[in-house]
Amino acid sequence: MNNPVSHFDFGDDHEILREGARRFLEERCPIEAVRRLADDPLGYDPGVWKEMAELGWTGLTIAEAHGGAGLGNLHQALLLEEMGRRLLPSPYLGTVLAALAIARAGDETQQAHTLPALASGGALATLGWLEPGASWEPDAVAARAEARTDGFALSGTKTHVLCGAQAQLVVAPFRADDGIALFAVEANADGLRVEPETCLDPTRRTARLVFDGVRVPAGARLARAGADVWGAILLQAAAWLAAEMVGAAEGILQLTRDYAVERKQFGRPIGSFQAVKHPLVNDMIGIEMARTHALAAAAAYDQMPDPPATGARMAKALASDVLATAVRHGVQFHGGYGFTIDCDVHYYFKRALFCRGMLGDGIHHRRHLAATLFGDADGTA
Amino acid sequence: MSAQPEQAEPQEIAEFRRDVRAWIQANRPPEPGFVMPQNFLFVETDEQFDYLRDWQRKVYEAGYLGLDWPTEYGGGGDVHKRQRIVTQEMNRAGAPFFVNTIGLQWAGPVILEYGTEAQKRRFLKPILSAEEIWCQGFSEPGAGSDLASVQTRAEPAPDGGFIVTGHKVWTTLGTRAKWMILLARTDPEAHKYAGLSFFLFPMESPGVEVLPLIKMTGEGGFNQVIFSEAPMPADAMLGKPGQGWEVAMATLTFERGAAEGTGGGQATSSAETVRRVVELAARTPRDGRPAATDAILRDRLVQLWIEEEALRLGALRKRTPGLNADRPLALALMNKLVYSEYGQKLSELACEMLGPETALWMGDPNAPDDGDWPRAYMNSFGMTIGGGTSEIQRNILGERVLGLPKSK
Repeated sequence: MNNPVSHFDFGDDHEILREGARRFLEERCPIEAVRRLADDPLGYDPGVWKEMAELGWTGLTIAEAHGGAGLGNLHQALLLEEMGRRLLPSPYLGTVLAALAIARAGDETQQAHTLPALASGGALATLGWLEPGASWEPDAVAARAEARTDGFALSGTKTHVLCGAQAQLVVAPFRADDGIALFAVEANADGLRVEPETCLDPTRRTARLVFDGVRVPAGARLARAGADVWGAILLQAAAWLAAEMVGAAEGILQLTRDYAVERKQFGRPIGSFQAVKHPLVNDMIGIEMARTHALAAAAAYDQMPDPPATGARMAKALASDVLATAVRHGVQFHGGYGFTIDCDVHYYFKRALFCRGMLGDGIHHRRHLAATLFGDADGTA
Repeated sequence: MSAQPEQAEPQEIAEFRRDVRAWIQANRPPEPGFVMPQNFLFVETDEQFDYLRDWQRKVYEAGYLGLDWPTEYGGGGDVHKRQRIVTQEMNRAGAPFFVNTIGLQWAGPVILEYGTEAQKRRFLKPILSAEEIWCQGFSEPGAGSDLASVQTRAEPAPDGGFIVTGHKVWTTLGTRAKWMILLARTDPEAHKYAGLSFFLFPMESPGVEVLPLIKMTGEGGFNQVIFSEAPMPADAMLGKPGQGWEVAMATLTFERGAAEGTGGGQATSSAETVRRVVELAARTPRDGRPAATDAILRDRLVQLWIEEEALRLGALRKRTPGLNADRPLALALMNKLVYSEYGQKLSELACEMLGPETALWMGDPNAPDDGDWPRAYMNSFGMTIGGGTSEIQRNILGERVLGLPKSK
């Protein structure tokens, strides 16, 4: 089933958000800041985080009743695209994904309990999106939630958790007696071991979280449970990440384009050679198509609560491939310089490798899309 | 799979769409009983031509063609710009294409933009009704991608008109056309671009010889046109002397779908879509199983589905300027390139899927879909070469959209 959006609701509020974000990030997140934060142990700028909270970004899509701005997915996609363009090192993505999970799976009480602190930027949160075994299928949850008289005991391992060592709240799925359920867990709970990972992407911080009989109260279990709820969260998260990746692809294209204009060989700018020009045009076309998909996937969530998976899957699949190609050209067309750590291209390159693997790559999503297209569960049985 | 009914459309649009759909259902012509060309480039026989011309006239008389053109020139004067809805529904129904494509998509829009009042009143209505067929005289043997180097001359005649001498190629419908949009050199001393003028040339003039060209599929439809001191009147000029290049570029902008305002209609029927190849895969055996179960073929087809969807959703995005603010021209200028290459990849994939059976050509009783797929693949080059090759399109995008330096 196709993405059913029939139009884009783009208004002044979208325009203001995007232009404001672009100006703010130009000023606060120039490439010098990315370089500095890449080597910083914390990995982000708390001052910038505070300003982002004041701009209303931390609570962008959180309901006004819970202290957010109550804006839509298209707003979120536009903002993430701007952040991606600048490779903003930030706990932002993890925090908004955790808020998304709470908003989708939590009841009113649970939302009222957790979301205001996330909306205000007062707390950092993250999503335990993956486990060892590296499956993005929503039923691939081995971590266990065992019922106790006063709540649950959680055991298992979550990998590549964004800002896992910085977040104060972790939302993650565990397998309970009645199936998969999501839990909101305080990061300082007894029995929760946080092991920072050596992440390939210097603009990200990730950790491995080991739950060893972590005791949580019954209320930590979010009200709406099931693999379908978790699957819907993973898909919407993939749509959001796709928007951020489109921004990153745009960033590397600009960088490479500028270099192709300025760099001369054989007495001519290298961008005048069709061997350079045409691949850059192909990247631009791919980015525009990926942007169309990312915007359409986001818009679908604004027009219906559970749109067909097609939109998010196409967005993430295409963004993954387009960004991977754009960074490959980025290194190649910067020549020998592009191969060194002094050239900023490597930040985009590593971001691309990181993002492609998260929340399902093109191979993963296209396999699911094929089942939809051919009207079967999996024709390759 | 493709082109689901549009949801959440305004009421009046949704109703209009239903009306169009019902009209097509009730009025589409019966299957012709002879092989039909796959698009307007390949109309060959009288029966093909008559069938298509009758269809266009019928659609026009029903009020579904030229909807967006002004009423005083035979159009519908529709303020809601609903021609695109008709086009979508025609495509969805697999209705026959409109044979006067050059008139509807190029000549008509460019006359609307550059024509005198008299030219508009004279030419536009017979374009819509298919009463007068148009052809295009741009390319020459020595001027393909480098279009501005055309050598065909239009020299002043004593009566104030012009005398044309030269050679044009790839002239679709050249034997059927009453008029040609003609790019010719009026000032050989001027700069390459400044010496060109644009004409509405009467094909019935003496000194015009139309010779067929046969394509790799064996089909005709293309021609070359030799002008031997062929006269045309003074009012044949569209725009001003020396404005030819500008007018020709405007025409190609319509051709690339970059501008609104074409007379409407699709230029192809039996449009190759991912859905059609899915259906083909379900009934095509491969290594003892349906091709639809082959993981590699599935993945390649899904990649094209993602492109097809990006094109469809991109048309929606194109109507939202705020979502194109950074590159206002990109979606419009890349449309022809992406669409033509998508169609080529799709028909090529279908040929590969058919394996040994792709060896059977039109007319063989065992040929899958009567050889449509290899024929579509060969014909797809008409789209990736005509109207500016894919390579030229990439130069244009690189220079005009990305701002890269010109290739020497």
